[in-house]
Amino acid sequence: MRFSNQVAPVARGRRGGISVLPRKFVLHSLLIISSLLMLFPFIWALSTSLKEAKDVFDPSGGVIPNPISFDAYVNVFTKIAFSQYFLNSVIVTVLIVGLNVLFDTLAAYAFAKLKFPGRDVIFGVLLITLMIPSQVNLVPLYRFMVWLHQVFPFLGVDTLSGIVMPTMVQVFGIFLLRQFFASIPDSVVEAARLDGAGEWRILWRMIFPIAAPAIATLVIFTFLSAWNDFLWPLLISNSEASRTLPVGLTLLSRKNTVNWPETMAGSVVTIVPMIIVFLVLQRRFIEGIAAGVTK
Amino acid sequence: MIAPAVIILGAMSLWPMLQSLIWSFTKYSGLGDATWVGLNNYLDLFQDARFQQATLNTVIFAVVTMAIGPALGLGAAILLNRKMKGRAFYRAAFFIPVTTALVAVATVWKLLLNDSGVINLVLELIGLEGHQWLGDPNTALLAVCAASIWQGFGFEMVIFLAALQSVPVELLEAASLDGAGPWRRFWHVVLPSLRPTFIFVYVIGLIGGFQVFDQVYVMTQGGPVNSTLTIVYYLIDRFRGLDLGHASAVAYVLVLILVALSYLQIRLARRWA
Repeated sequence: MRFSNQVAPVARGRRGGISVLPRKFVLHSLLIISSLLMLFPFIWALSTSLKEAKDVFDPSGGVIPNPISFDAYVNVFTKIAFSQYFLNSVIVTVLIVGLNVLFDTLAAYAFAKLKFPGRDVIFGVLLITLMIPSQVNLVPLYRFMVWLHQVFPFLGVDTLSGIVMPTMVQVFGIFLLRQFFASIPDSVVEAARLDGAGEWRILWRMIFPIAAPAIATLVIFTFLSAWNDFLWPLLISNSEASRTLPVGLTLLSRKNTVNWPETMAGSVVTIVPMIIVFLVLQRRFIEGIAAGVTK
Repeated sequence: MIAPAVIILGAMSLWPMLQSLIWSFTKYSGLGDATWVGLNNYLDLFQDARFQQATLNTVIFAVVTMAIGPALGLGAAILLNRKMKGRAFYRAAFFIPVTTALVAVATVWKLLLNDSGVINLVLELIGLEGHQWLGDPNTALLAVCAASIWQGFGFEMVIFLAALQSVPVELLEAASLDGAGPWRRFWHVVLPSLRPTFIFVYVIGLIGGFQVFDQVYVMTQGGPVNSTLTIVYYLIDRFRGLDLGHASAVAYVLVLILVALSYLQIRLARRWA
């Protein structure tokens, strides 16, 4: 296969060699300026988080704080419960990702490779829920979580499990994996069955490793949405014990008199883990997103 | 094997869906019994000036972000769709906002747009006047749009980049041999082959746009004077006012809007793609 990015020489040949350098220069200047504009809000957030409160709106302040102060970070982690929020966010995200990999894989395998009565009807009903925005479920789910909390005090409203439960299985994930599993020939599965392998073994030993790219896509999507999710955690948490980073952050940013260095320190703490994960897994990330949405 | 998934989805998704549909026809405070009121909740909504305002604001938000975001995304994708130095860096710079929490970036934009914030500072430096972006009902919604476009268009860039990779190079070469310049090649070869991608980007973008909440909650709290009130924000308001009947009706108005949009897009997709 030849791809369109190889067409560049054709275009350049028509134009001749002289115009190539200025065009490249214009292109790179444009890209560098727009990249800096894109990154500026992050740079400014970091800079503000290292300033003293009285210097935040100093017109002669500039990007580099003078003096550099780490008080805001010390404060958000000691006076405000950001260490708790951070831990909560990590627990919630790990649980949501792990449970989705487990449950979505099981269901996707059954829908793709097992035959049982009502299979296509059940799958069809699940697909309908993809069309329904999650806000529809908020109110009944909240009531359900209140009830659950009365029966089991460690579950439901104002607990981490209450944040995790609504997204611990996702139809999107089942659908994504089912598409991938369906592309694995049935003969492979049947050969393994003839050799006496059980379904459980076939799934985790054979299919799961082959499906690594699809699983990676699922993990990335789920990780992104779990870490950044806001509305549901906001509704269901009303104490420090269950607040995640985005929810804790809004407690700072919605005050009447905002302490900007502390608020920006909170933003940086929320944003930076995601940026690090993205930079480490950059290619996987972008390919995974492109694959996940075009499936 | 499907038992865990089906039971959980049944309890966490299907059952609540039906329950809120039923509640949308009742007067219910969450305590005691719900009383059946038929379509009254829906009729109330259509007559409620605040809900009309919320719907209008949401439509404006979706239209403005979708008019600009995909264009920026496509522009960035075209610039980056070639081998060059620094490509990975540029791509990361455009994409990083997509990975970050809306709440956090909205918080940062609230600082940038502050009356004495850096945006007004720069405007004054180049001789323009600063503005109360979030305090003025005429600009607050646009400011929320700007932050959202900045946060989101890297996503569209990645989708368009993937799509541009699959534009058949033979077609481009043939057009080139026929004497088509870069602009005409783009207009007559590249754009038509991107149609399915455009439809996809708009489906995802509009559905997301109609559910806007986080940015508004952080940046303006629906104000000033309801100028940034959105459908989901209104829903949460009703919910917190223990008016579960109207809150559920709002949710189903949102469903109707999204289903209508999806239907329209499927029709368009059939005709164009």
